[in-house]
Amino acid sequence: MSSSNSCTQCKSKSLVRDDVTGHLVCETCGLLQEFDSFEAHFGGISGPQGTFVRVGTSGTGTLFNYKEKKVYEAQKFIDDIVYKLGLSGSKSNDVKSMVATITDGEYGQGHWFTIFVGACAYVVMRKDNKSLPMAEVSSVIGSDEFELGRMVYRVVEFQNLKRTEDYPEFDIISSFERWLRNSRSFAGVGEDEKERMRKQGIFLIQCMVKWSLTTGRRPLPVIVAVLVFVGELNQVKVKIEDIAKEVHAKVYTSKARYRELLNALVKVAQALPWGKDVTVKNIMKNAPFVIQYMEKKSMSNPGGKEKRDLESLRLDLEDMVSECLTKGFDNGTDLVCREDYSRYFKVDFDEKSALVSGGDMENFMLSPECLSMVYAKVSSEVGNGIFANEGNEVYSREICDFDFRVCTEWWTGESELSKKLLLKQILEKDVGLEALPPSFVAGCKVYEKRREKISAAKQRIDRIMLPLIAGSDDNRSISCVDDLQPRKKRKGAKVDVISWEDLIIETLLLHQVKEEEIEKGHYNTLMDLYVFNSGIVPKITG
Amino acid sequence: MAEQGLEGSQPVDLTKHPSGIVPTLQNIVSTVNLDCKLDLKAIALQARNAEYNPKACYLYTPPQPLFPSFLSVFKRFAAVIMRIREPKTTALIFASGKMVCTGAKSETQSKLAARKYARIIQKLGFPAKFKDFKIQNIVGSCDVKFPIRLEGLAYSHGAFSSYEPELFPGLIYRMKQPKIVLLIFVSGKIVLTGAKVVRDETYTAFENIYPVLTEFRKNQQCFDLIIGEQLVISYAHFHIHVLKACYEEWGFTSYHSTE
Repeated sequence: MSSSNSCTQCKSKSLVRDDVTGHLVCETCGLLQEFDSFEAHFGGISGPQGTFVRVGTSGTGTLFNYKEKKVYEAQKFIDDIVYKLGLSGSKSNDVKSMVATITDGEYGQGHWFTIFVGACAYVVMRKDNKSLPMAEVSSVIGSDEFELGRMVYRVVEFQNLKRTEDYPEFDIISSFERWLRNSRSFAGVGEDEKERMRKQGIFLIQCMVKWSLTTGRRPLPVIVAVLVFVGELNQVKVKIEDIAKEVHAKVYTSKARYRELLNALVKVAQALPWGKDVTVKNIMKNAPFVIQYMEKKSMSNPGGKEKRDLESLRLDLEDMVSECLTKGFDNGTDLVCREDYSRYFKVDFDEKSALVSGGDMENFMLSPECLSMVYAKVSSEVGNGIFANEGNEVYSREICDFDFRVCTEWWTGESELSKKLLLKQILEKDVGLEALPPSFVAGCKVYEKRREKISAAKQRIDRIMLPLIAGSDDNRSISCVDDLQPRKKRKGAKVDVISWEDLIIETLLLHQVKEEEIEKGHYNTLMDLYVFNSGIVPKITG
Repeated sequence: MAEQGLEGSQPVDLTKHPSGIVPTLQNIVSTVNLDCKLDLKAIALQARNAEYNPKACYLYTPPQPLFPSFLSVFKRFAAVIMRIREPKTTALIFASGKMVCTGAKSETQSKLAARKYARIIQKLGFPAKFKDFKIQNIVGSCDVKFPIRLEGLAYSHGAFSSYEPELFPGLIYRMKQPKIVLLIFVSGKIVLTGAKVVRDETYTAFENIYPVLTEFRKNQQCFDLIIGEQLVISYAHFHIHVLKACYEEWGFTSYHSTE
């Protein structure tokens, strides 16, 4: 302090403050002393007057209290999520009000709140039967689908949305329509074509529902499969990977559903006269026929009162065939008679009894336009000598090049299955196939396999325990054992004739476990219950 | 083989199981109080069939996040995990002296296993007792051997059912009386869980649900009808025959030749 009261140069104590500048000056030597008169520019009694800040106003430097800030941030966050999900204004308000109701106006922060908002958005959309898949929501909010699902379940529980009217099941049809409308893969498709694809898609999805291909399965891969199928059917080049990515479905599962759809259509095609030739590889070429057949079938009324005039139908058919034959001869083609195709003409006109019990025949008739178009196409090709005197190879190629999908007349879209129907109505329709769920069919096959193993094991046991009686069945037993050999043999791997499963079955049979129980395949349980039986191993007396 | 004196499965009591199907018990979970504080580290060091990792446990990260939140939480576990072979079970032994026994296939097996664990603890020098043994959960499964329309069941039993194919392939049916949860799958396979005390709850729940399931049974006979119908619709296919013939081969001579 002392140094500050004396001049730094002459050490004189006579320092005075300049009135104008406020600086300290030495009276003796006139030296301007070091700056010591700092004053804050803001604040203080003599400082400039600042802006009065009040809590709750907006702008820079505003101070919210915790709750208001939280609510504000939460609402902003909800707006953001809802915008990303592409929900409308009214839906956005619904989501906000649902969030506010459930949290009692407290809203929230953090990861759970993100999932909660996503769940509310999902429930709001589903309540209104609008398409918003869970996978899409979870990808937007960046959370796990199952985590979101658990939150959705809690929201549904809280809102007590038990009744189906309040909370309908996921609408696969509207979801399909939405993706067909919005997908980039179908951007260049005309409106008319899109409408046709929409109807075909709905028809196929409802057929898949009927065939239990959607039951217990994720809906999005089914939608991808149908989108790809109708795309190919209408010559729109689409890739299953692209659509699966857009729709937020797994590519592998989508491909599996696509294969299942093709397999089901192949099964339907078996009803066609050339059904044996239809495979998964050529089903796309035959799809117009198959779908037309399904469409006609679905429009038929099995229990209807309409009577058919069988005789007139027969005459019609005969006339048509003779007309076609005449035209064929007129072209003067020299075609080789092929045994393989003769079955297409094997129609027994005398099967009246069979016809009486069948559906309405008129419903199955193909449109004359389509028939004439096909006829014209083929006859023109014949006229050009495409088929004449050519080898089978060239001939086959020409067949493959002809694509019936270019013809769109086969599709009428008049079937009710092209419109959204209730499950009950779908089940009542006949589309030419009553398929069982793939998982059930697989289960039946497994049961069958186990039954075979059980019978083989019984024979082996008999052979050892009763060699004289079982001696005559030796050959059969061996053949059963041979059946047990694994079909896929890896190189170098040792192949056992009897697998561990056979030995377990034998053991269980020896412990008198019922075959029905062994069939179920719960080997561990049965071994614990009947073989090890709490550590007490029963003695086997020879 | 009866003379061998082996134990075999009993015939189905139709008065108790009118459906003729008896759910197979797959897992029994029971708890017991050993009523003494346990030094888990000492148990883990002395018993060779025990695992104890209270700090850094086995972290399993599945390639696909099927149950990510569940498994990733299992970084550590403050209990000794002990296993025995007969009955083949696993026990979770806590420092408080409480024990959970899982994996048994029957109630008696579960109790026997719990007693065996208690004996092991006693042999390790702890004054273990055997208090408040209780069956906490019984899990059973069965197959009705017909496919089930889950959508229809969910629609008509909406108050009890939860069917979300986006999340889980089965229908979750929460039965009120007895208080059992059933997982119903389209393949006809059923899982019953939540029974406490006795297995009869599981059996009753199945007998309750069985008539409901038959109501939503998917018709299997249709296959036969379709096969029979192929003959019937052969007339209708004649148009298609011609189409196909045009499509594949100009083979009218074939037809002509058979005339």
